[in-house]
Amino acid sequence: MIVRLRSILARVFSYRMAALVRKEFGQIRRDRRLQISLVLPPVLQLTLFGFALSANVTNIRLAVVDDSHSPESRELISTMTQSRAFRLAGSYLSASQLGDAVSRGDADAGLVIPYDYARDLVRHRPATVQLLLNATNANTATISRGYALGVLQTYNAALLQQGIHVQAVPVGSSDPSLGGQVDLQPAFLFNPGLVDSWFIVTGVLGLLLILNSSLVSSAAMVREREAGTIEQLLMSPASTTEIILAKIAPLFFLLSLMMLVAIGVIRFIFHVPFHGGVLPLFLGGLLCILSGISLGTVIATFSRSAQQAQLTSFFVNPPLSSLSGALNPVEAMPHWLQPLTVFNPVHHFATIVRSSMLKGSGFADIWPNFLALFLFTFVLVALSVWRFRKQLS
Amino acid sequence: MRRILAQARKELTQIVRDWRTLALALVLPVVMLVLLSAGLSLTVNELPIAVQDLDGSLASNTFIDAFRASLSLHVVAWPVDGEPEAALSANKARAVLIIPPHFGRDLARGIAAPVQLLVDASDANTAKLISGDASQVVSAFNRQHARSAQTAPVQAAVRLWFNPGLSSNKFYGPGIFVLGISMFPPLLAALAMAKESEQKTILQVYVSSISAHEFLLGKVLAFMAVALGEVVVMSALLFTYFGLSFAGDPTPLIVATVLYTFCVASFGTLVGARVPSQAAALQAVALGGFLLVFLLSGLIFPIQNIPAAIRWISNIVWGRYYIEIVRDALLQGGGWPAVWYKVLFIAIIGAVFYLLAWRGMRKMQVNA
Repeated sequence: MIVRLRSILARVFSYRMAALVRKEFGQIRRDRRLQISLVLPPVLQLTLFGFALSANVTNIRLAVVDDSHSPESRELISTMTQSRAFRLAGSYLSASQLGDAVSRGDADAGLVIPYDYARDLVRHRPATVQLLLNATNANTATISRGYALGVLQTYNAALLQQGIHVQAVPVGSSDPSLGGQVDLQPAFLFNPGLVDSWFIVTGVLGLLLILNSSLVSSAAMVREREAGTIEQLLMSPASTTEIILAKIAPLFFLLSLMMLVAIGVIRFIFHVPFHGGVLPLFLGGLLCILSGISLGTVIATFSRSAQQAQLTSFFVNPPLSSLSGALNPVEAMPHWLQPLTVFNPVHHFATIVRSSMLKGSGFADIWPNFLALFLFTFVLVALSVWRFRKQLS
Repeated sequence: MRRILAQARKELTQIVRDWRTLALALVLPVVMLVLLSAGLSLTVNELPIAVQDLDGSLASNTFIDAFRASLSLHVVAWPVDGEPEAALSANKARAVLIIPPHFGRDLARGIAAPVQLLVDASDANTAKLISGDASQVVSAFNRQHARSAQTAPVQAAVRLWFNPGLSSNKFYGPGIFVLGISMFPPLLAALAMAKESEQKTILQVYVSSISAHEFLLGKVLAFMAVALGEVVVMSALLFTYFGLSFAGDPTPLIVATVLYTFCVASFGTLVGARVPSQAAALQAVALGGFLLVFLLSGLIFPIQNIPAAIRWISNIVWGRYYIEIVRDALLQGGGWPAVWYKVLFIAIIGAVFYLLAWRGMRKMQVNA
């Protein structure tokens, strides 16, 4: 056993192996495009995605129809537009003009205050205002509805304090059995400032590691085949294992450097905190790179040229990236697609990164994700070695 | 005209011959439409929320039942002696609701009973949705059960226009439709054009009697046909799976679609003429077509959220105008008054691409 192990180790660190590794490094050094794709994507994609993808809802353009023309109605309008969520986009004379403005896209929301608004309030009757929301974007609409109702709640509390009470007959079968009110006190853990980019960049890191690794490795693997030098490699005394190892090792090393750059961008440009240890992050990242390289190798074995390899990756990447939960929560996907995320290494890595960086979870919490990621990596590496050997022989 | 058609026919024959490009042109857009709309949606259902009931009274059970009835939240069991934060760090729940002891007693006595909600904010957007949903559940509970509840003086009647069901598919479907059209036809066009210079067949074109404009128009026409084929396939999906229909006047969309296919086909030809190798052209289109249209066109998130330093770029992103036209035609129904200048912008950008491609062709001869 030991003798066998020693012979394997001797082979790994042999002179031949070193020469092959040096050859690969030399080829990478001369390939400008490969070098660019090692440095540019981590910086460019992380910063672009992190800055441009923000679900934040601010400055909703609010168009107003004020039929009441009273101090009370003007106060309501100024309360609405004082918040950071809404800004006044114009006043209209009739509700139909306002409707036109919303469908033209001049305003995102509309507030219609009826002519009897002030009178109702003075007479202690509840007043109803109409709030129109452009719900084309369901997420923005849900959040802006929450904002509007929140502003109104504060406004109501202020009115009640001023002594404006209203009497209303309760409608329906309400059950007034309890005296006190429930007072919900929400606390936002792990990201109290609700920074959107923390979620995006931690997800993009996983996408980047797998997709870029597969892109770079498929380009490197297909090159020998395209140039027809693969026969020369086979004629050399190097064994297939040595050829494969020598191909993977330099890529693995360079992509690990890329990962460090990416993590640096996440840490120093986006200020994502490191609450947990860095070990889960690095370990998961290395597994991701390895599975990305294997994926690229498999793609390369199915293609005859660099262009074909790239085209093939168009079929692999969209499902890999969209069914990962890297850019959105898994719960937002249709039910029939949700189970598929279990088979996605990006999903597991994104969970590992977010848990360990933002939540400070340790291995005890995220070992299932590690196990899954490890299994995928193992299967992919085995598959790629098998495909590559088959191609060589 | 005959020469243009012949050139277009030659291109189409070349596409049909390679299964990879054919699948890329017709199958992949459909797959992408289904997958990406799932992968981008932010409207969540059944978010797991753990409840730690330290009171165990009738009142607390009634309170939890209010959460059980919510569509957007899904109550999962969590032991009373478990650390609440552990449910979040182990990814078992998105939020934990903690009902303190004496909850029922406080309510019966008429004192305000505090309840804590710990929200996992590592996903900021979902956190906002959870806390919004939870506070709506609580205020509904208060209205129904609390004796001392006061009717709010001002009430809002909220109406959601254009998408009352708040279906995110109706928002992302049109966007991804545009993304598909902005990506695959120019990809094929760039490959075909780069192939001419890679394999030096461009020289044959120069010695033939065909003029530069005829050659280019033939190419553009062929890839416009491909793009229109994609439009047909994908809009079939939009009208069935996504449940969309025309909200108003369809003519702006039809005119814009023809102009947009011209625009993207010219973009692909332009890249192919400028970048001599197929692999590099592929990457250039993927970067230009995908990154620009995906990130800077308002496809996922509103454009006004993009930092001002790069927001101006979105003004020249052709996909942005088309996305707005498609959403207008299928959801808002603003018609020509709302979108006429956007149609014009697409035409202008397309013309610029075509002229640049034409200038690029003159250089191809020198390089070949």
